[in-house]
Amino acid sequence: MTRLFLVDDHQLFLAGVKAELEGKAEIVGVASDVDEAITEIRRTRPDVVLIDVHMPGGGGLAVIGALTETNPEIKFLALSVSDAAEDVIAMIRAGARGYVTKTISADDLAEAIDRIKAGDAVFSPRLAGFVLDAFAGGLPVPIDVELDQLTAREREVLRLIARGFAYKQVASRLNLSVKTVETHVSAVLRKLQLSNRHELARWASDRKIV
Amino acid sequence: MTIPDQAQITVDPWATRVGLFRRRQDRVIAGVGGGLADRLGVGDVYVRAAFATLATMWGLGIVIYVVLWRLTLDVEDDRPPRPIDSRQRIGLTLAFIGGLWILTGMGLVLDGFATAVVFTLSFGTAALWDRSESPSLARIILPDGGGGRSVVRLIGGMVLVIGGLGLLFSSVSAVSQLGFTLLAVAVTVAGLVLAFGPWMYRMAQDLGQERRERVRQEERAEVAAHLHDSVLQTLALIQRSEDPRKMASLARSQERELRGWLYGRAPVPGEDLLSTALEGAVAKVEDERHVAIDLVKVGDATLDDRGRALVGAATEALINAAQHSGAARISIFLEVDGETADVWVTDQGKGFDQKTVPPDRRGLADSVFGRMSRHGGSAAVESRPGEGTEVHLAMPGVKAIGIQL
Repeated sequence: MTRLFLVDDHQLFLAGVKAELEGKAEIVGVASDVDEAITEIRRTRPDVVLIDVHMPGGGGLAVIGALTETNPEIKFLALSVSDAAEDVIAMIRAGARGYVTKTISADDLAEAIDRIKAGDAVFSPRLAGFVLDAFAGGLPVPIDVELDQLTAREREVLRLIARGFAYKQVASRLNLSVKTVETHVSAVLRKLQLSNRHELARWASDRKIV
Repeated sequence: MTIPDQAQITVDPWATRVGLFRRRQDRVIAGVGGGLADRLGVGDVYVRAAFATLATMWGLGIVIYVVLWRLTLDVEDDRPPRPIDSRQRIGLTLAFIGGLWILTGMGLVLDGFATAVVFTLSFGTAALWDRSESPSLARIILPDGGGGRSVVRLIGGMVLVIGGLGLLFSSVSAVSQLGFTLLAVAVTVAGLVLAFGPWMYRMAQDLGQERRERVRQEERAEVAAHLHDSVLQTLALIQRSEDPRKMASLARSQERELRGWLYGRAPVPGEDLLSTALEGAVAKVEDERHVAIDLVKVGDATLDDRGRALVGAATEALINAAQHSGAARISIFLEVDGETADVWVTDQGKGFDQKTVPPDRRGLADSVFGRMSRHGGSAAVESRPGEGTEVHLAMPGVKAIGIQL
């Protein structure tokens, strides 16, 4: 079972997720603020951290920023009610391997967590839309258009995800294996994360995200 | 006062034990003077004046300051920081050092005269600049006087300052050559600036504070009004509702509205957007059919007749999916790429056999295909029993905005 850590400043939501994932993941700890999250995650060393984008004290970005340096083996899945594309993209660029909205069903969430643990990326339709927008220059996100261009296939995969298809359905529509779809999605993730870290930090602080 | 963490305390048990800390806020150099003033319960300006005076005595003030600096710890406090920024701090310190240097140049330092000048000047200004509520020189003289206290402070301060300035200028032979009138003017101007400077400074500060407070209050009122009109009303409706589908639909429509308010672009008058029109259509279908619709959009275009036809067709496709598919969720994806706007309406519902379109699905053919082809667009339906349905609408010739894929 996946060793899971939950970070969210809403107690009600924490309790809900805990109950829903009963028997689907081993919850090794919860935290409701940035400092507590950093200390406890270092101590419990979970496989996957389910983390809220918006929290007092710097938000999920601060937690991911502090832990990717010291504990690169820990994987993050961002979860939010936020619709601000910039915030979500910032989490992905900082190192989160996926993004889902809080309205996700328990089964889908459990599947996403397992996928993250296996090292894959989890793209919800909304995230796929944000990413397509970001690479098209439609978002105020610093992407080097010269270096970080998506291939036609990657764009095709993202479009199908944005249309609401699961990875398996995307694979069968494009006559690919699920593994290949996962490879394409991971490649997109890498391209998002490639850019200069300093540039991202400056951009995030300009926008008061951190 | 909160005591800093354990590791630091071991460095200097004495200063901590007697309750002496450095101030972190409201300080001029390192907060030693302020901390000492807090401990002694006197106005910080007087402690600073004492340090300045002692500094003229073989640099004693500087030595004591540095020693106390090493012995004490910073302390957190939650007073709002006074706007002494680092530039002002450096300016004040440099001015004092410069003053000492001039006095040294005139051969005045280390004799009683320089000490007297610094003493009268620094305590005089301290009395004038004293804004604290702690026992001040004036309070000692007038133990229970209300308004009288500040008058005493003002007069005492001015006497000290003018006396000090007179003492200083009269001692400099170069100045005496400039003539007595000039000297008197200089002393008066300097005295007036020192006397009324603090008052004017305070006025300006209060004004800024008042303006900030007013802006903050207006913002708060606006947020409160909005939350009352929307969120609180919806929460009340949800509590009264007994139909879970109705509740979910109320929650979703409220969520959508709040999102639009929090993250949405402010509408530009006279410029309707394709995405905004589609959002409106999605909201309408969600509310009327009690179904969840996930809208994802990439790119945007200005809304013209073609765009309106596209939105109309998409609405029909959504209603069809809500009515016939049996799926609880419908996905809709809008992509504006170059000159073409594409919409996909996808459900994972029961689907149908396209060869034997049931008569009740005629609506799809008429309203969707008809609308699209009249404006030069196209529509395609893909469905298989048990595998859901997807409607693809493509409308060429739209006016895209922003950078495109």
